[in-house]
Amino acid sequence: MYMIPPSNPCYQDSREIFMIEVSGLSKRFGQVHALNDVSFTVPKGQIVGFLGANGAGKTTTMDILCGCIGADTGTAKVAGYDVTEQPLEAKRRLGYLPDVPPLHPEMRVEDFIEYAARLRKVEGARVKQRVGDTIDKLSLGDVRSRLVGNLSKGYRQRVALAQALVHDPDVLVLDEPTEGLDPNQIAHIRELIRALAGHHTIILSSHILSEVQATCDHIIIIHKGKVVQQGSYEELVAQMHSARVYRLRVQKDPDLLINTLRSVTGLVNAHLDAHEPSTVEFALAGGVGEDVIDEVARRAVEGGYGLRELALKTKSLEDVFFQLTK
Amino acid sequence: MSAVMTIAWRDIRSYFASPKGAAIFFFFLGLMGFFFYNFVVSFVEVQQTAPMRGGEAPTVEYLMRQLFFNQHFILMLFIPAVTMSSFSEERRNQTLRLLQVSPVTATQIVVGKFLAAASFMALCLALSAVYPLFLRGYGNPDVGVIATSYLGTLLFVCGQIAFGLWISSMTSNQFMAFLFTMFGLFLLLILNWIAPNISGGGWAEGFVKYLASTEHTDVFLKGIISVNDVVYFGCFIALFLFFTNVVLDSQRWR
Repeated sequence: MYMIPPSNPCYQDSREIFMIEVSGLSKRFGQVHALNDVSFTVPKGQIVGFLGANGAGKTTTMDILCGCIGADTGTAKVAGYDVTEQPLEAKRRLGYLPDVPPLHPEMRVEDFIEYAARLRKVEGARVKQRVGDTIDKLSLGDVRSRLVGNLSKGYRQRVALAQALVHDPDVLVLDEPTEGLDPNQIAHIRELIRALAGHHTIILSSHILSEVQATCDHIIIIHKGKVVQQGSYEELVAQMHSARVYRLRVQKDPDLLINTLRSVTGLVNAHLDAHEPSTVEFALAGGVGEDVIDEVARRAVEGGYGLRELALKTKSLEDVFFQLTK
Repeated sequence: MSAVMTIAWRDIRSYFASPKGAAIFFFFLGLMGFFFYNFVVSFVEVQQTAPMRGGEAPTVEYLMRQLFFNQHFILMLFIPAVTMSSFSEERRNQTLRLLQVSPVTATQIVVGKFLAAASFMALCLALSAVYPLFLRGYGNPDVGVIATSYLGTLLFVCGQIAFGLWISSMTSNQFMAFLFTMFGLFLLLILNWIAPNISGGGWAEGFVKYLASTEHTDVFLKGIISVNDVVYFGCFIALFLFFTNVVLDSQRWR
């Protein structure tokens, strides 16, 4: 996620670089402020996770991005085309899987995908081939002549994904794509999404942290209609810790070790872990290089404390999420 | 295939993919048959007894006119059933999203849906032609009048469909769409009965009469195609399709 201010000249010819550009979106539903100045950009070929609790504004943002509803203020661009000003051009390059799959239960799988292809203006001669390719890609061959209404939830979700993919769009917008699927199906869909990256630019929403962590290059956390944080997973975690926290596990006398460590420059807040008495936690002050770790290790070994483990204490996305949306 | 035809073709197929299409055919033709039988039986009776009572015997044209007029009332029940699902069902199934995110305009969606419903009803009407054809086997009805009557009925049906689409576009509840469409169509049918009760000068009465669809279909039933009435139906259809278009477009902003 490279945030370039609109004043930057690069931004003007960003059509190639950013497949999705959303700036200053606001939307009210009556008294409820669903979105409040949401801005982000997605470079070509990336998978971006849109993370937020239920009702945070994920679906509203996606609906606006796909031109289903209009924003009160702000613009949304897909592949350089404004969805309000040039909706047909933008929608041609867009595949959308809404939170409720838009399926006609009375149609056969193959007919439905073909219908979606024709709606999306796939050339007449290429329709059959695109439908076949999509069916193969999503392993829908076994159910191609069954009625959509008779399929299981996992298949239905795949058919819904097929309608979003059939015209080979530049941008794929997936609203909670694995919602309500069993673990095998989730794994399959995730694999598929990962396989689609590069060729397609994907934005997917979820309230499941592990999902976003597993599939996305970049993460946007949205809360109460505002973007509260964005960046790669590592960046987000790092931002949460301006000071990096390490864990040091020793065999004996951790309290003595703490006293030794306190004299190391650049090392702050050394204390015993409340849950694991044999573990010392400490942080590095801002601007201090990781060489300090060598010094810590040397002292632990030379003091005969019995060094067992020295690791960066990673914060899970969950911690970040809770911290941000508290 | 253009976007309009894609949308229309899917809708036409969906009428036949569910029992709905068959049910409408069955009940429409069944009701028509029932009334046809009754009308013909009483027609024959009146015709046979007319000389005895010293009156003039009714003509086959009169019978035909009554049959078509009666058909309009029957259609009032079936048109809402056809149009109620057009948008309401799509909205309930969330499939309207599919259309909204596709590179098609609201006008293409509306025209596609209109064509689908209109062709379905046209097929219904075409099948109902079995009754006038049956009459031809036994009497000598004027084919020209039958043809203009069907043209008038088709225009009338298209107008009603446009109205029904507009109602359907405003709700996700099919039952409400059905009810409101039926009420509106009923109102249109009886406007010329209401007209004489309007005080405030001849022009108001004339205007309300002009609005009544029955006033215009009656002309077709007499075997006349007049520009006036064709224009009336043309405007009627265009107006309500335009309203539907406005509703669809405006939903983005609500």
